[in-house]
Parts: sequence; C-alpha cells; structure tokens
Amino acid sequence: MTRTLVEPDLDSITIESLASAWNTVVWDDPVNLMTYVSYVFRSYFGYSADEAERLMLQVHNDGRAIVASGYREAMERHVQAMHGYGLQATIDRGTP
Amino acid sequence: MIIASRSSTAGVSLRFQAAEAALLSDLADQVDSMLLLGSPDDPALARLLPNAYPDDAEAQRDYARYTRSSLIESKRAAAQQVRDATAPVGERVSTRSDASAAVIPDGDADAADADVVVELDESDAWVWLTFLTDLRLILNERVGAIEESTPEQDQRDDYLSAAYDWAGYLQGSMLEVLDPTDK
Repeated sequence: MTRTLVEPDLDSITIESLASAWNTVVWDDPVNLMTYVSYVFRSYFGYSADEAERLMLQVHNDGRAIVASGYREAMERHVQAMHGYGLQATIDRGTP
Repeated sequence: MIIASRSSTAGVSLRFQAAEAALLSDLADQVDSMLLLGSPDDPALARLLPNAYPDDAEAQRDYARYTRSSLIESKRAAAQQVRDATAPVGERVSTRSDASAAVIPDGDADAADADVVVELDESDAWVWLTFLTDLRLILNERVGAIEESTPEQDQRDDYLSAAYDWAGYLQGSMLEVLDPTDK
C-alpha cells in the first residue's frame, strides 16, 4: 500500500479553476465589413446566425464583445484564428 | 465591374475585367512582399498581427513567438493564391486544380483583354475573404500616412482609397453569394 506523500493542495485546485476563466475579446475595427465579422463568428465558432449577428452588433455598438471563454490555451488558439481572419482580438482574464 | 455569382459547387464564381484582375494581382503581390520584407515597426503590419495581450508585455512576447511565423505564412499563402489566380495571361500559375482561373475567350478580343473568371469553392473563398480583409487593413493604414500634401501624394491617396473601396465591394459581393441568409 502506498502512502500519499502529498496532501491534495486545495489552494492550487482553486487557482486551477480560476485559471480557466479567460476570455477571447474581439474589438471593433471600422475596416471590417459587418457581414464578414458575423460570417467569421458563425463559421469559426459554429454560432447560430442569430448569435453571430448579436455578437457582431455588440462589437459594432459597444466596441468589443467576449466571443468565447475558457482555458487560456484554448483562448490563445481562438485569438490566433481571429488574427488569421484579420479581426482585432485580445485575451482577457475573465471575471469568475 | 466585378460580377460575383453562385458557383456550381458550394462556393462563388468571380468575373473580372482584365484590368481589374491585373490590379488585384499586383496588390496581392505587394501584400505578399510586405509580409515578407515589412519592418516590424510598420503600423500596417501591426494591424495584421495585433497584440493579443495589450496589458502584459511578457505574455505578448510569448504569444508572438509562437504565432507570428505561422500567421505570416498563412497570410502570405493567401496573397500568393489570389496573385496567381488573377495574374495576367502568360504569368498565371495555376496553384490548385480545383481553383484554377480560366480565361473566357471573348470574340475577337485578344486573350489579354478577356474577362478573367475565378471559380472558388468554400475553402478557397475563405482564403480570398481573409486576403481582402488584410488588404483593406493595409490600405486603410496607408491612406493619408504621409501628411505632406502634394499633388503626387493626393493622387496616391486617391488611388489607395479607390482600391480600398473596390476590395470592400468585392468582399461584400462575395459575402452576398456565400452568406445570403445574412441579409
């Protein structure tokens, strides 16, 4: 029988779950056509036409929108994809 | 005059006048060169490769280190695909069998003056849409970039503005075909 040498570290578990709260933020850029932005949201994230339209309008009207949340690595992949599409995107630490 | 119409596949078919195709090919070539040779300080390049962590310089350095070369590579590949599909007759290179540009013979007109028709499937269409976005970001950054107003400078800005509007019209026309439910 093996002894557990290390007690589960509750602090690090809490930190781990907080660490998952990152956001992909897309910023308004007057250069991009609105139809293009919503087409990207639909095609890349798989959002419905209505949801993609809602997020696109939020970007347009509020200057920014959170388009995805989750682990940091996943958000970096999303941001890289958005940069590939020519959208202005950043990574934000989410509010838990 | 560009005509975008539904392709026989799920994509889009584009018809350009020879001069329009040559202009687009030239712009795509310039975008490719800029991505290859552009100075990191170039604000237009910064538009294409934005900062992912505006408030965290160290995280941004890591992000750039891991993503920059692959982003540049895919943007260059897109520019090259558009350049090759619209290059003047004789210079045209068909890079993809399923997206090759075909010259439509137009009566007695020289082949060089004939319309250029480009058939794009959905994945090629994405390549074009993203290229047109990058092109517009660059043109938008370049217009008025030199403050000194001379007749030559004003003429240059007029040309860049016209190209910017034209690329937007092309992209909008493509989206109307590709995404008609969005209307």
